[in-house]
Amino acid sequence: MTTFVESTVRFPYKRSLGPVIGHFMTQLTEKRLVGIRSGERVIVPPLEWDPDTAEQLEPNFVEVGPAGTVRSWCWVARPSAQHPLRHPFAFALIQLDGADTTVMHAVDAGEISTMETGMRVAPRWRATRVGHMTDIEAFVPGEEPVSPADDQGPAAEPVTMMNYDAQIAYTTPVPETQLVFARAFAQGRIVGLRCPNCNRIYTGLQQACPVCAIPLTASHEVELPQTGTITTFTIITPVQYPGQTETEPFARVHVLSDDAGAVHAYQPVVDLPNEDVRPGLRVRAVWTEQDGTKELAGWTPTGEPDLDDPTIVNRIF
Amino acid sequence: MEPIAIVGWSMTPMVRRTDKSEARLLFDVVTGATEDAGITRADVDFSCAGSCDYVAGQAFSFVQNIDAVGAWPPKRDSHVEMDGAWALYEAWVRLQLGDIDVAIAMGSGRSSTADPATIYPMEMDPYYLAPLGADALSFAALQARVLLDAGLVTERQLAEIAARTRRDARDNPYAQVSGDFDVDTLLTEDFVRAPLRRHDVSPITDGAAAVVIARGDKARELTDHPVWITGFAHSAEPHQPGVRDLTTSKSAARAAKAAGADRGPIEVAELQTAFTHEEPVLAAALGLENVPINPSGGPLAANPVMATGLVRVIEAARAVRDHGRHRTLAHSTSGPCLQQNLVCVLEGSR
Amino acid sequence: MSSKPCAIVGIGQTHHKTRRWDVSLGGLVREAATRALEDAQLTWADIDAVVLGKAPDLFEGVMKPELYLTDALGAAGKPMFRVHTAGSVGGTTGIVASHLVESGVHRNVLAVAYQKQSEGNAQFALGSGKGASLGAGGAFAPYMRAYIRTTGAPADIGPMVAVKDRLNALKNPYAHLKLKDISIETVKDSPMMWEPVRYLESCPSSDGACAVVFTDEAGGKAAASDGRPPAWVLASAVRSEPSSFPGRDPVWTVGAADCAAEIYRTAGITRPREQIDCAELYVPFSWYEPMWLEAHDLADRGEGWKMVERGDTALDGSFPVNMSGGVLSSNPIGASGLLRFAEAALQVRGMAGEHQVEGAKVALAQAYGASAQYYSMWLVGSSLDPVG
Repeated sequence: MTTFVESTVRFPYKRSLGPVIGHFMTQLTEKRLVGIRSGERVIVPPLEWDPDTAEQLEPNFVEVGPAGTVRSWCWVARPSAQHPLRHPFAFALIQLDGADTTVMHAVDAGEISTMETGMRVAPRWRATRVGHMTDIEAFVPGEEPVSPADDQGPAAEPVTMMNYDAQIAYTTPVPETQLVFARAFAQGRIVGLRCPNCNRIYTGLQQACPVCAIPLTASHEVELPQTGTITTFTIITPVQYPGQTETEPFARVHVLSDDAGAVHAYQPVVDLPNEDVRPGLRVRAVWTEQDGTKELAGWTPTGEPDLDDPTIVNRIF
Repeated sequence: MEPIAIVGWSMTPMVRRTDKSEARLLFDVVTGATEDAGITRADVDFSCAGSCDYVAGQAFSFVQNIDAVGAWPPKRDSHVEMDGAWALYEAWVRLQLGDIDVAIAMGSGRSSTADPATIYPMEMDPYYLAPLGADALSFAALQARVLLDAGLVTERQLAEIAARTRRDARDNPYAQVSGDFDVDTLLTEDFVRAPLRRHDVSPITDGAAAVVIARGDKARELTDHPVWITGFAHSAEPHQPGVRDLTTSKSAARAAKAAGADRGPIEVAELQTAFTHEEPVLAAALGLENVPINPSGGPLAANPVMATGLVRVIEAARAVRDHGRHRTLAHSTSGPCLQQNLVCVLEGSR
Repeated sequence: MSSKPCAIVGIGQTHHKTRRWDVSLGGLVREAATRALEDAQLTWADIDAVVLGKAPDLFEGVMKPELYLTDALGAAGKPMFRVHTAGSVGGTTGIVASHLVESGVHRNVLAVAYQKQSEGNAQFALGSGKGASLGAGGAFAPYMRAYIRTTGAPADIGPMVAVKDRLNALKNPYAHLKLKDISIETVKDSPMMWEPVRYLESCPSSDGACAVVFTDEAGGKAAASDGRPPAWVLASAVRSEPSSFPGRDPVWTVGAADCAAEIYRTAGITRPREQIDCAELYVPFSWYEPMWLEAHDLADRGEGWKMVERGDTALDGSFPVNMSGGVLSSNPIGASGLLRFAEAALQVRGMAGEHQVEGAKVALAQAYGASAQYYSMWLVGSSLDPVG
């Protein structure tokens, strides 16, 4: 029985636009569409370079449109969360009047039967424009641009930046090896996977013994002791960024499992002040329990004397 | 160029959703391809993998995959954020240097991880296209409309391509979608993104593939049936589809010319046509008149993104080694409306 | 061997900064690429193929950016190739580009690597946007502790490296950090971030790009006779090894040692410490300088820190390291490897300006990535046979 895990990856990006895209976006807030001249051609939306030769283009902007001609279109019957409209619409390649290339944008045509190649469209402007492709809500059939009654006017300052917020929901299978660890942890057990060839014991993300190139499976599970010795460590002062949950300096220790030769890397500690963390310190696993399911909280001192082994610090893995 | 031959390959079963990680899929195909070549992981002098973080849903996703190669002792190794066909290209260039003999190229992807409509806008122009959610399917449909409007293809011809490739796929044990489909029935189906219907679009597939290549003498030593790479090239064109002529594929034509595809007859072509309408565009650009295209079923039968192109190479090599063809062609592509194209020409020993 | 000579005739880079909010992604890479073309006295049309390198796409939120950047980098109508080998990627980008020339596939090849870290948040992206990560410093700190304890290196060695690289950066007009008043004391007074690594012993987060133009033997000789000295690629190598397995030593790694041994062998180097004039090593945290000196056979095991202590690795020392200011002074991650490779080439071309090592004929460059498991290295020379 395969277990799948769902995770939503959301990234707030902030993009700088540079002189050409920035000018185009600023003009959008003014409800104007511009292209850039490259030789005989007018390229819309404008690029900083000629797309065929890469030659740098002078900032020779040309106002185009606002109306244009649909050169190709497709019908989006079920829009995605990233699409500009929530109801069925067309994506179209639109050649704005005065342009030699097409721009891709949405056409809010209501019905697929309204759409045809060669049809004329014009922009429907958003009331609040920030300098973003969606300042044009969509193009609509006809020659006349549409402006909302509550038009908020152009941007006060030239637009130089753009926000981009992408969200992707992933569903990924949990590898069999990870299920072995999860099951054992829930029962308060620490286990490893022993390579049948070299006997190395794995406690991490490996799905194969990378030394012997033998896949690891549940059949390789071995019980590991709940005690060990700290080999090396770091104290991390957390930097704040989205997703960071730590606020105070915290330790991550590497624990060499007793009698097993396996190392648990980057482990949290419990009831162990940062200044007392040191190689050679003897520790044992500490568990929390909720609704009968255990969770490894971290490692805490056993009270035994330190292990005196100056080379133990080298057991990072 | 140094003579370099394909001497072994492997691919995973192609499925809608696998319960295996990419690392595990790769592990299986590396084992399979090295066994097929009659070698072990230790015999591989260079490895190169192709995969994509945004398909995997994780930064540095390829780092775990190195365990599949058997990189201990440490191995000469590289990774491209491109289809495995480009990984093969890097491996082929590497063997040209003449100091090592055997390389493996891999491609892996689990397209099932997320809705393609949310992933693929990320590969478009970050200012003008991505913010609109401009996805690969929409661009494909826009290109298909251009072809239909220009009278270069009809909806019936597209349905015929879908029916033909899925009929051919019945004989391919790796096919995910295959069977007999009636063209008239297909044409009554709903559009998924008009003018494209379900049958015009490749399935969502999880899978991986690996190919072992070797230099001249080593290839002959490993197998009686080396499949020689006699041409290998790729080419790109401007990113924005709005600045391109979408009725043709200039970059595919350039890649074919650079690979010397026209230096002799092509008996079978395996093209990375994720959409039916790409077949006539590519066939024209690559000069494939009356050449059987995608007898494996092609991407319309199974489309393991990031490995699809490498699978084309395998199928073109299989046609030579196992089906007695002399000269075949494999193609791979990337980007909106066939922005980037790769051509690999394969030949058997006479 | 069917490997043909390969020359570097053009080098360009951006001014690296925390935020290059004056440019688009295309504008950033073109700034480096146009400088490289000018240096090479070539035009976009002269380039036969482009190789692009950068670290994870999640950093800027542009998937497979070689697609968007194809025409920005003049690759319309040409092959455009994208490499990603974690932190070593910049180096690998240069190596893949050089292979295209050495194999005879192409004559003139442009390699470009970049990162625009300000578009997103690297630490956040390392957690794949799903939550917190330890950050690269947290991941590497236990390695550095192991090095310090095992070798008995004095605590000042890390700060000494941090000061040296920042002083070198003052001589490099493109470097990001310009810390004029830096001293051992200010480094030691800076906040402890990932013990034993302090804030000023860590690399910055930069926006930047680097570009290198490669050409064949004829192109290199033409440049030389035109008074524009090329750098010749004497040897290059890559290695990868697993992230971890019980007993793996991530400090003195076999991958790094093998990679170095291969380029020394190829270039006919038997006494690297004497036969190589200077090195640009990927040192994102101060302690990595002595660690790499040992792993690359430039110092005996356990002795790398003594080279630092003696001042050997200073710009005026007997074996200068990170003349450019290194990763500690500028870190556009994906470009950082290519910047190391480019600086080595600048040195043997005699074009490194104020940070020039006088008379440098053979220079080593290295980049590494992930859990100290991906390596790319090259040796460049002022001629095809400069090794004494």
